[in-house]
Parts: sequence; structure tokens; C-alpha cells
Amino acid sequence: MSSRLEAEHLYKVFGRRPDEAVERLRGGAGREELRADGTTAAVIDASFRVDPGQIFVVMGLSGSGKSTLLRMLNGLLEPTAGRVLFDGQDLTALSDRELREVRAKKISMVFQHFALFPHRSVLDNAAYGLAVQGVPRAERERRAAEALRLCGLAGWEKSWPDELSGGMQQRVGLARALATDADLLLMDESFSALDPLIRRDMQDQLLTLQQTLKKTIVFITHDLNEAMRLGDRIAVMRDGRIVQTGTAEDILIRPENDYVASFIQDVDRSRVLTASAVMDPHVRGDEADCRCETATPDTPFTALCALSARLTHPVAVLDGARLVGVVPRQRLVGFLGDQQGEPTPCDHPRDEGKVTARA
Amino acid sequence: MPRLHLGDWVDSGVDWLVTHMSWLFDAVKTVVEGMYDGIDAVLTAPEPLLLAGILALLAWWLLGLVAGVLGFAGFALIDSLDLWEEAMSTLSLVLVATVIALVISVPLGIWAARSRAVSAAVRPVLDLLQTMPSMVLLIPAILFFGMGVPAGVVATLIFALAPGVRMTELGIRQVDAELVEAAEAFGTTPRDTLLRVQLPLALPTIMAGVNQVIMLGLSMVVIAGMVGTGGLGGAVNEAIGQLDIGLGFEAGLGIVVLAIYLDRMTGALGTRISPLGRRAAAKARTTVWTYRPRAAVAVVGVVVLALVAGGMGVFGSTSGTAEASATDVGKGKEITIGYIPWDEGIASTYLWKELLEERGFEVKTTQYAAGPLYTGLATGQVDFQTDSWLPTTHAEYWTKYGKQLDDLGRWYGPTSLELTVPSYMKDVNSLADLKNKSAEFDGRITGIEPSAGMMGLLKDKVLQQYGLDGTYKVVDGSTPAMLAELKRAYAKKEPIVVTLWSPHWAYSEYDLKKLKDPEGAWGKGDGVHTLSRKGFAADNPEVGTWLRNFSMTEKQLTGLEAQIQKAGKGKEQDAVRAWLKENPGLVDKWVPVAGSGEKSRAAG
Repeated sequence: MSSRLEAEHLYKVFGRRPDEAVERLRGGAGREELRADGTTAAVIDASFRVDPGQIFVVMGLSGSGKSTLLRMLNGLLEPTAGRVLFDGQDLTALSDRELREVRAKKISMVFQHFALFPHRSVLDNAAYGLAVQGVPRAERERRAAEALRLCGLAGWEKSWPDELSGGMQQRVGLARALATDADLLLMDESFSALDPLIRRDMQDQLLTLQQTLKKTIVFITHDLNEAMRLGDRIAVMRDGRIVQTGTAEDILIRPENDYVASFIQDVDRSRVLTASAVMDPHVRGDEADCRCETATPDTPFTALCALSARLTHPVAVLDGARLVGVVPRQRLVGFLGDQQGEPTPCDHPRDEGKVTARA
Repeated sequence: MPRLHLGDWVDSGVDWLVTHMSWLFDAVKTVVEGMYDGIDAVLTAPEPLLLAGILALLAWWLLGLVAGVLGFAGFALIDSLDLWEEAMSTLSLVLVATVIALVISVPLGIWAARSRAVSAAVRPVLDLLQTMPSMVLLIPAILFFGMGVPAGVVATLIFALAPGVRMTELGIRQVDAELVEAAEAFGTTPRDTLLRVQLPLALPTIMAGVNQVIMLGLSMVVIAGMVGTGGLGGAVNEAIGQLDIGLGFEAGLGIVVLAIYLDRMTGALGTRISPLGRRAAAKARTTVWTYRPRAAVAVVGVVVLALVAGGMGVFGSTSGTAEASATDVGKGKEITIGYIPWDEGIASTYLWKELLEERGFEVKTTQYAAGPLYTGLATGQVDFQTDSWLPTTHAEYWTKYGKQLDDLGRWYGPTSLELTVPSYMKDVNSLADLKNKSAEFDGRITGIEPSAGMMGLLKDKVLQQYGLDGTYKVVDGSTPAMLAELKRAYAKKEPIVVTLWSPHWAYSEYDLKKLKDPEGAWGKGDGVHTLSRKGFAADNPEVGTWLRNFSMTEKQLTGLEAQIQKAGKGKEQDAVRAWLKENPGLVDKWVPVAGSGEKSRAAG
């Protein structure tokens, strides 16, 4: 399958003589070195591919260059070096007018602070992108109303943005992005300004919508849990560079370096991991030969724990009828605590009753 | 430090502009005058109360019933103060200046908001325009545009431009960057981003700028009045010059009414046209007092009233038929007389207005400050003026402009300059008596404008000659301030010594004593001369001859001045007519025409 969006060695340098700075970065100069000269390297040598219908999450702390990276994808910022290919078309080679055309029809964006136009009604806000394209009023209002309905805002068309709560405002922002039928959705920390409960709702809604709409989405966040929850693939950025790209499990189980490892320490693993990541693939072959419950590779970690608690022996993982692995309880606890390997034996073994008595 | 000859460069720069760019200034002048005349014609066409009704209706539409009623009351007040024409002239001036200021400042503000370089370049220019004392810019404005409305508009414009530019720039810059980015992200063109996002959201700030432009424009009308724009500003100047507190207050009140009306209207207009403001207004509860007719109703009302006004204007204006008289020498030729609001200036100017109109000329009189008057004469804006004190008092102006002027001779003199005390100061009779009396006078001599010729003479020569320079301080001020101080002290019988000159009405108003000058330090005294623009006498040989032969005795002059003073403001020419009737024969003596046979031929 060919990729929908591809970034090739993107660089963005702010300040004087950016081209020279890119040469120095290619030659191995560091970000700090450039900062001393007054130039800021926001994005350094970023490359990735996003497949159609995928949610690609770029994750990083503030100042890591993720927002700059996002704005190069739709040409709001021009890359200092490198190319952005969208459906095989090189966006960096387009004229301003052609670029505006692409932004109007094929790429839309959802902002961190919603960026709704306060002087337009909810319906007019949702219809904004269509108005820019020159779609006739009746049709654009129909399509905007449909987008609002999809986002759960039916009946709010005549309201004004400042009458809505934060979550509802961002639904308008989402509807505005969906109304244009753009293939690519750029979401810049879109849920970060919302409080945690609303944020969860919005994540659920986005995932639900995505099941039917199958958009290609690039989602920026600084929240690793959000990244793990939403992302089909995740890129972790640090100091302008992408340090690791992979699935949530890849990053969680095989962190590329200490930075990523330290980053994922606080992650709620139980939400991300599934049986396939936790199981021990070395099987004897007879583990599923009882009539006890079994798991599938997609069984979430929490369900696996519940299952394990009901069984006296390790949980068997079956892919169809085939046994693919087992999950001993020890392993579950180990993954939760990011501690793999065999436990070290106790030097002074006691029986459990004594411990209970002493406690 | 080497002396930078900045002033000389400015001088020659201005000269160069006057000689080489006059086509441009003339074009600007034509446009401004056309706009002013158009607006003024519309505003003065209907009956005052009818127009007040139209303006009140607009206020009702934009602000509500209370505002409409108050607006009507305000304009009715102006009309009842007999200041209607002045107020409309001022309103026209401010509107023209505002329109031009907005046409320049809003695009400039937008440009500055989009380019940091432009913003950085524009800012110091705005600072200069806004803080440079307006009189400094007024004189070049006269050189470029001549006296009258265009110079006044330009002076107002220069002052009022800055807030328009600044507020527009600020308003656009204040629009949330994320909103602009959102517009761009959806492929909006820069032009549409400006029109659909930035300008609508910046509108409240821009309207605040418009409001400031108008307010500053109104605050400039008094200054503009000094260059002959007339209107309420001229009335204020005239009142100040004559120490007429009552008239000054009335004219000032007229300005206040205009200011409040325009301020509230632009404020309301701001909320009307800004989408956000409209929303807020729609939410607000309406009562009878705040009920506002809808736009359509308001438009219908205004149109109906305007039609009535137009109709009345048509029927009201019966065209005056030209009278052909035997003594018609001028045949309607226009002559402009400029004057400084000094009593002998007013008296002689209105005398000549009457005399020349008697002889068939169309005479226009306009009041100026001394500097602008000489500038106007030198550039040919004014044909002649009758109140030039030479060789001493107006020496500076003569040195600067003498070559561009013709001196038509002295018609009154000698005048005298003096220090004067109230006659209740029994033991002070001569300048020498002032010595050792410093404590009594608090060491102060109340002076007039520091630029006046007599002030220089007093400080540099007179005080030294009488050994007063260590013990007295000459307080700079203005003529009205000096007269006010004299009036105050006189009423309380406090000691005071002021600079004064003869002829002056103060001598008839108060019982005053000129201090003797045994050493002749003040010099011999001036003659009051008539000055004309270069070549005026050649263009109008009869008038030239009449002016050259003109002279008045002290008795005649003070008699005429007294008559004018008695008649009061606005009736100067009636007073002149009455005075001429009481003194028969003077008309034929001052403006003689040839025998009656020739007269009828001239009339034919």
C-alpha cells in the first residue's frame, strides 16, 4: 500500500542564513551550537510515512518542534530543506495559489485553542472551509450541518462560539475540518486544552468517527497516554529530531533509547498492552488442553489480568484455534512494573501464613 | 558643537516646495475645497431645526430615544445661540478632515500591521505630526494651500491622522494569531483573510480610532480658526481677542455639543457595523427609552425630512437681484480683506468693506492671527489689510515679507507703545517712578505674546534705560490674558502695570494712565499702514488710489470704534453704516467717483 503522506528529511531553521545552518546540521552540528549563533533549529531531518486511514501521532514535549513539523505538512511554514509528498504531489514545489487550493480542498486542520471565528455562528464556522472554496450557500450549509451532526452538535447551528463549552467548541473545530471532506486531517494538540473527562470523550468520538470516515490523521500531542490511545503509529520527537517511530507497543516494549524509556515510565501500560505483547511465545503445546477460558492476541491487558485471576494456571493465548503463547501471572505483574525476566529467589524462604500473621 | 542649520534647510525646502510643487497643492486644495463646499451646502440648505431633526433621528436610530431628544436639544441650543452657520461650517470642516484622515490612515494602518518595516518607518512620522506644535505646521500649510479651509483641514488632518493609523494597526495586530492561521489553513487568500477575519475583528478598535480622529479634529478647530476657516473656531478666536467671555463660552459650548454628538454617534456606529457589537446589542433588553427604530424606518424618516428640507431650501432661496447703481465701479469684482481682531483693525476693515460695497465691489473679510495674515498677503490670498504697525511693531513681518507686499501708506498715526497703570496708582506717573516700587507690583510687568515687537523692545531697551531690568520681570503671556489680568486687578483696585498701546479700547473701558517716557525709550511710535499684495493697486487702480489717500483722525477712529463696540458682535457693518450717516461727506471724500455723467455710463 502506498503512503498517503510522506515527509523526507524535513528541516526548519529560524533565524539568519538558514541554508548554511542546515548544512551544518547535516554535518553533525548540534542544536545548542546553532542557538549560540542566534538561529533556532526547530525541526531536524524528520522523515516519516503515513498510510491512508491511519492515525499518526507525533509526540513530544513543548519545544520539541512538533507543531512546526505539523505546519510544514500543509505549507503554513515552508521547510528550509526537504520535501513533503502528499498523494505523490510535492507540496514544497507548489506556488502559493496551488498550495492554498490544496489546503482548501484536501488538508484541514484542528487547533489547540479551537480558533473559532467569534463573529460567525456555529454553522458559519463549520461552513468556513466550504465558503473559501466558493461552494454555494445552500450546499455548504447542508454539508456543514451534516458535519456538526456527526460531531454531536445537531441543534446548535444557530448558536455562537462563545455560548459553547470548551469541548463543544472543539467539536465545532472538528466539524469545520470534516466539512470540507479533506483526506488529511492535521490536529495540533487539539484536545490538550480540554479537561481530562472531556478529553477522553473527544478521543472516543474521534476513534468512533475514524471507524467510519477512515481519514488520514496526523495528531500532535504532548500526552503519551493520548498518543498510545489514538495512534496507529507514533513518532517521538526530542529537540527537533524524531527519535523513534513505531506502534504503541513498539515504543513501550522496545524503547529506542534512554530518553524514550524515561518518557514511557509513567505511561499507563494496562491501557496499551494486549496479550500478544505480554505473552510468552515459547509454548509446550498443551497449555490450552483444559476447558478453562483463553485469551486472543488482541485481549487488552486489564481483561487479561481479570482472566488470570480466575485461573489457577497461566492464560493460554489462541489465535483462532492455534496456540500462540501463554501468559503466566508473574509476567503480567512484570509488564505492569516494567520489570521483565525471572524473579531472583529469596534467600530466606518463609511460608505465606507467617507473613500474613506478622502483617 | 557645530551649529546645524536645520532651520535654514527647512526654510529652503519649504520654498522649493512652494515654487515647484504648487500644482500638487493646488490640486489638493481644489479637492478639499470642493468637499467642504459640498458638505457645507448640504448642511446649511435646510432650516436649522429641520436639520436638527434629521440629526436627532439618526441619534434615535443608533442610540435610542433619549439620545435623539438630547441631540435635538443640543442642536436647537446651537441655533438659539445664533451659531448655527458657524457650527455647520465647523461640522463640515471636521467631516472633511475625518474623511480624508480615514482614507489615508486606515490603509496605512493596515499596511503597517502587515509589515514591520512600514510600521517602524511610520511611527516616528506619526509622533512628529502629533507632537509638533500645530502653529509650527500651520504657517507652511498656509504657504502651500493659502488661508482658509484647505489649510485648516490640513492642519486638522495632520494632528488627527495618528490615532487612525495607530488604532488600525493595533486592531489588526490584536486579532488572535491562531484565527489568522486558521483562515490560512483553510486556504483563505491574504486579501480574504484581511476582509473576512482581520478587519471584522479589528473593527471595534478601528472605530475607536475613528472616534479619536474626530475628537482630535474638533479640538483643532480653534487653531484652524486662526487661519481663517471661520466657524466656531473663528468665533472662539474672535471672542478671546476681544475678551468677550460670554461669546467665547457660547462658541465653546457649540464645539462641545458637536463633540458629544459625534462621539456618541461614532461609538454607536462602531457597535452597529461590528458583527460582535451587533450581537451584544441584540442580546440587550429594550425599553421605551432605548427602543430604536429599525434601519429601514430610520432611512425613511431621514429621507422624508430631507425632502421637506430640500423643498424648503428651494422655495426659501429667493435669488437676490443685482442692483446696478450709478456708483458701481467694482461691478461685482471680488476683494478680500484680512484683519487681525484688534479694534482699529476691525473698525477700518468694516469701514472699507462698506465703502467698497458702496462702490460695487464684492468684499470678503476674514479674521486671522498676525503671522498667518502676512503669509496670506504675501501669497496673494488676501488682497489687503489695514492694520500694519510700521516701522516698529510689525518690523519682523516687514523684513520677511516686505518684498512681496506693497505699502499703500499710513492712514493713522502716530501710535504709541507704553506701560500703563490704572489711574488709582496715584504716585506712579512715569517710567522712572517704577523704580523702587518693585515690591508694590510684586516685581511683575504683565506682558503680551513674547513674539510681539513691543515685548522685545521692552525687555532689551526700555527696562535698561530706566534701570528696571534687575527689579522687574516681564511676564510673557497673551493679549487676552493681559487684558483679563488688568480687568481682575482693576476690579479689586490692586497694583498692576501692563504693556499697552494706543489706540486701544481699554483706554475707554477703564480709567488708565500711560506712563510717561521722558527718555524716549519706546521710540517715536508707529503709523498704521495699509498693506496690499504685490500688484493689487495695479489690478484695481481706483481702489489703490483710494487706499493711498485714506486717512483718519483720532476722533474719527475712536468714534467709529465706540460705535462698533456699542452695536456688538455681528453688527459691525451696521455700526459703520450708522456712523457714516452721522458723518456725511466722508464716503465721497474717501472713495470719490467722477461726475454723475460718467457714473451712469459706468453703470450701463
